[in-house]
Amino acid sequence: MKKSTKVLISAVLSASVLAACGNNDGANTEEPAANTNTNAGANEENATNETNETNANGTDDVSNNEGNNETAADAELEGELVVYSNRNEQFVQSLLDKFEEETGVEVRALHGADPLQVQEEANNVQADIFISNDIGALEYLNTEGLLSPSNPTNVESIDEQYRADENEWVAISARARGFIYNKDMISEDEMPTKMEDLLDPQWADVENGYAITRGGNGGMIGNVSALRYEWGDDQTMEWISAIQENAAGIFEGHGDIRRAVGAGEHAFGLVNNYYYHQQLEEPTDNNVGFIYTDQGEGEMGAIANAAGAGVVAGAPNEANAQAFMDWLLEDENQLEFVGESLEVPMNPDLEPPFAEAVPFSELQVQDMPLSELGNYFQDTVQIIEDAGLDLELR
Amino acid sequence: MTEENRKQISHTKKSQAGDKSSPALLRFIRRRWLETWNGNPPGFILLTIGIVVAILMSIPLLYVIWRSISAGADSWMRLLGDRIPQLLWNTVSLTVAVTAFAIVIGVSLAWIVTRTDLPGRKWWQWMLALPLVIPPYVGAVTYIIVFGPSGFLARAWRESDMITMSFPINIYSFWGVFFVLTMFTYPYVFLIASASLRKMNRNFEEVARSQGMTTSQIFWKVNLPLLRPAIGAGAILISLYVLSDFGAIAMMRYVTFTAAIYFQRASFDIPSATVLSLVLIVITIIVLWIEAYTRRKNKFYQTSNTFREPQILSLGKWKPLAIIFVSSVFFMAVILPIAVLVYWTVIGAGMGAIDSSFFEFAWNSIQVSGLAALLCMVLAVPVIYLKSRHPSMISTGIDKLSYTGYALPGVIVALGLVFIFNNHVPLLYNTFYMIAIAFVVRFLPQAMQAGEASLSLVSPRMDEAARSLGYPAWKVMLKVTLPSILPGILAGGALVFVSSIKELPATLMLRPPGFDTLAVRVYYNASEAIYHQAAPGALLIVLVSIIPLHYLLKRY
Repeated sequence: MKKSTKVLISAVLSASVLAACGNNDGANTEEPAANTNTNAGANEENATNETNETNANGTDDVSNNEGNNETAADAELEGELVVYSNRNEQFVQSLLDKFEEETGVEVRALHGADPLQVQEEANNVQADIFISNDIGALEYLNTEGLLSPSNPTNVESIDEQYRADENEWVAISARARGFIYNKDMISEDEMPTKMEDLLDPQWADVENGYAITRGGNGGMIGNVSALRYEWGDDQTMEWISAIQENAAGIFEGHGDIRRAVGAGEHAFGLVNNYYYHQQLEEPTDNNVGFIYTDQGEGEMGAIANAAGAGVVAGAPNEANAQAFMDWLLEDENQLEFVGESLEVPMNPDLEPPFAEAVPFSELQVQDMPLSELGNYFQDTVQIIEDAGLDLELR
Repeated sequence: MTEENRKQISHTKKSQAGDKSSPALLRFIRRRWLETWNGNPPGFILLTIGIVVAILMSIPLLYVIWRSISAGADSWMRLLGDRIPQLLWNTVSLTVAVTAFAIVIGVSLAWIVTRTDLPGRKWWQWMLALPLVIPPYVGAVTYIIVFGPSGFLARAWRESDMITMSFPINIYSFWGVFFVLTMFTYPYVFLIASASLRKMNRNFEEVARSQGMTTSQIFWKVNLPLLRPAIGAGAILISLYVLSDFGAIAMMRYVTFTAAIYFQRASFDIPSATVLSLVLIVITIIVLWIEAYTRRKNKFYQTSNTFREPQILSLGKWKPLAIIFVSSVFFMAVILPIAVLVYWTVIGAGMGAIDSSFFEFAWNSIQVSGLAALLCMVLAVPVIYLKSRHPSMISTGIDKLSYTGYALPGVIVALGLVFIFNNHVPLLYNTFYMIAIAFVVRFLPQAMQAGEASLSLVSPRMDEAARSLGYPAWKVMLKVTLPSILPGILAGGALVFVSSIKELPATLMLRPPGFDTLAVRVYYNASEAIYHQAAPGALLIVLVSIIPLHYLLKRY
């Protein structure tokens, strides 16, 4: 209770401060949402916030302002917002519900959407917002001219290297790849520690083997792109063939892997770190550990990726889409975006929302700029397919 | 198309009747036109509707074929070298194994239930047909809950101290998929074979017995050959089902053509998806051809004038074994899945899974299935009317084309519709009308079959009488024919409704953002292992599916 109030207050404070120094372009659309938050939360801070908004709005009468804003909200934000997301539905839905509740905009979501669907529909744009688990996909869409610039208030809270040049996409939550393992089956010092280790067929002989996702999975695509950046294509293809050959289980998603490893179906699995934290929260099957890969001296560092959002170019509900970006970058909603995923917020000022989190800054992370992932995206999909990993499930 | 032109020409010609003499060519065309229809051509509107329906039904197929041919040599080579052989093996071996095993189970159950003194045989006759109400993907969920690696059994296995061996069942395997599909498809053979066994004349068997044959010899030499048409009909239903199944195989992580097509399309590798579709279409056509071929070669006649009820055999010492066999199949295919669903539904209800969004999903399902049922009822009437009242090559062609979507897997129909709407009908793209249209393409023949059965009972004399009283053709259809076939049409609508509610792959591929149906939620929640959320929807789908069972049991 206390903690959440504190978060809310700090969120409101920083939102209002940033609103004051932020660019005015997006201010009009941003206000209604901010206003609802403050009404719901701490009234004390309302005054400062409203003053800022008043300035942005150019209105003099403070007492009338709130009422104006309310009607402005109704007039401005109505209709619907179509969100395509390739993130796990459970991570995204509550965020969207919150937006719907606070703005009255009806959100229609397509979960499990592929980024290429946006490309396929370029002549008949359906989506307003694309939420992605993989920055590579967002940057790919951006280079294809399929995302539109935005300038949300508070976007400065995200370091420049984690957003596109004109904020066509903004990363909100970060994660790293690694191995979840079942402590009943394998001990920490028996585990592989580097991505490179998987080239070795010995891991096929571990009791019950290990698990990976199918190649079409967003996380796997990002993983492979990072390896190509580090190793070049030849060794990466060898690596794909090796895991394809040696993995005992190939799953549709990472959630399946953490459950399977937790239940002892497989000794370990290649996942994003937050799946480990999720498994720890399970009532049973939770005797698992996690290895961040390539943390040794001179090693490449853990492969990082992020989840974020961008406005689709030609969005049918452009105004709502821009309002969504504004709303999303409020500190409170950045935390909501991270939500149940147990990822770490990209914004270093925000407390990770759960206890065992390893802040991003404490990890040795691969030195590739995330936007670089976009240059690899399409070729990576092709390479994975050529290596035959795209379909197989087992 | 040319038919339409010809028709138009003849139409214009007619309107000019009494004019100066028409050119010889037109007269020739008119004569040929009348010949085609045996002197009884249908009205212009009726024919146009029929042709439009036929074209609508076959467009998705044609579009997929066209796209696959233009996919480029690249895609073809890549897939032919690597992927297709493996998929071919996965798909064909599963289809053959399930079909063969389902026949064995279906025929043996049918024989035991209709021909022996099994206790409660009247009850077993419909109880053993019950798995029909459980869509195989729902059945697959329940089997994963029980036999899966984190299921009831595996947990109990691990928790017991006496066993040191690791859990021996791997549900995510060929055998898992094989078992699940067999359990939920054997009733097709069971129903048809039972009907056939009941109608079998006792005389044949008595002749055989008088020749000194034993019961088992009689079964193999007399009963089985007479059952062959029934088995063939059941086998084709089952093998077409296995070829087209998406939900059960995807949940059990087995990849056949349908799953491969779905995943390729989901990641928007359209050329590969169309290439794989074409291969699947060819396999489907081969199955249909095999069935037609074997049916042509095997003709058996029953003599009806001396029909006597078949004899009931005494099981004797085999009775316990027969009871065990029958009840264990019943347990695996009905009791176990229903019990699991009820168990998790109760838990789900306790956890608030039956909330407003549950009703929203249910309402979405009803809306889209209802629309599909309505469309099917409306579109089926002209097609069956054409076929039965104006028989000709053209109406047969229309009838045949209307069946294309029915024979094809939902993924292919959906794939075709996605292309067409995205590229050519952007207005309807990503609306729920797309799903309804897919259901019409897939299930129109169900409405047609039900309607045809009713229409065959209405004598054409009634039409003629009405027309002789001066009613135009369309009025006859609306005022005379339609009321008398309405029960059949409604029954067809009900069948379409139920098939639509449980349809999965096309719904998954075509649903617009924010429009989830019960089937989609069951699939999503089950694949995320959120069973308490999946079960209420699955149970509802099962309950709704009981509706057509009544019709099916009546038909056989």
